[in-house]
Amino acid sequence: MSVPRLDQLPKGHRFAPTTYTLDDAWVDAYLAATEDVTTAALEPQAVPPLAVLALAVRALLEQARLPEGSLHLSQEMACHRLPRRGETVTAEAAIVSRSERQGWALLGVELSVRDSEGELLVSGRATLGLPAGGGKP
Amino acid sequence: MALVELVRHLDQAKIDRYAQVSGDHNPLHVDPAFAARTQFGGTVAHGMLLLAYVSEALARAWGRRWLEGGRLRARFRLPARPGDALTVRVLPRGSASCLVEVLDGKGQVLVSAEAEAAETPASPPRKGGDTPG
Repeated sequence: MSVPRLDQLPKGHRFAPTTYTLDDAWVDAYLAATEDVTTAALEPQAVPPLAVLALAVRALLEQARLPEGSLHLSQEMACHRLPRRGETVTAEAAIVSRSERQGWALLGVELSVRDSEGELLVSGRATLGLPAGGGKP
Repeated sequence: MALVELVRHLDQAKIDRYAQVSGDHNPLHVDPAFAARTQFGGTVAHGMLLLAYVSEALARAWGRRWLEGGRLRARFRLPARPGDALTVRVLPRGSASCLVEVLDGKGQVLVSAEAEAAETPASPPRKGGDTPG
């Protein structure tokens, strides 16, 4: 299925909420990929906040394509409640700002992940730099 | 003096593993031939992978006060590349805030961040947990 390029979407665009389960296989793969040995030492069932924030980015990437050469310029995040293995979470993203500068489109994207009760687990804002026109760098 | 220092040795296999688990297969991260033609001249790590290292360092420093109620504001200044030996340095600025830097082997700052810990964690640890730091 073809998805739009992220730089083609307007300010205000909201991505469809996407639900994931924090199953053991995915959590273990995430911990291995990030070499995180600290979170589980603090609490065996805990899932790193960055892991669920990464799911919000994944939800976005499932619905929009990053132009080649896109850059992640900055990231803000807030940890609200510690996610735990087995939880079902819903990731949301929205484009909240957009500007163009020196051949780049600068997008501000708000990200949030909530549990099945709607309680906020993690929230954040990414600033992305996208080559204007989506061309190759 | 740093509150915590975390060292990670980056290679392409680690970047590929992160791409797999995160679903972010941007060729700038995973396609050396493509990345060689960009301004970076080669693949670079995902910013979110570097932030995962930062988050672990903050969890070591503050425990649950980071994991529940922590806040972070980070800027990606330079790319991290396969072969880089990365050091995440948490520099305290009082009991509940710090500067965080991700440095490469040459001492260049790749990521700079400001972080705040919760005054108290939002909930008590569950079975098997403790709260260092």
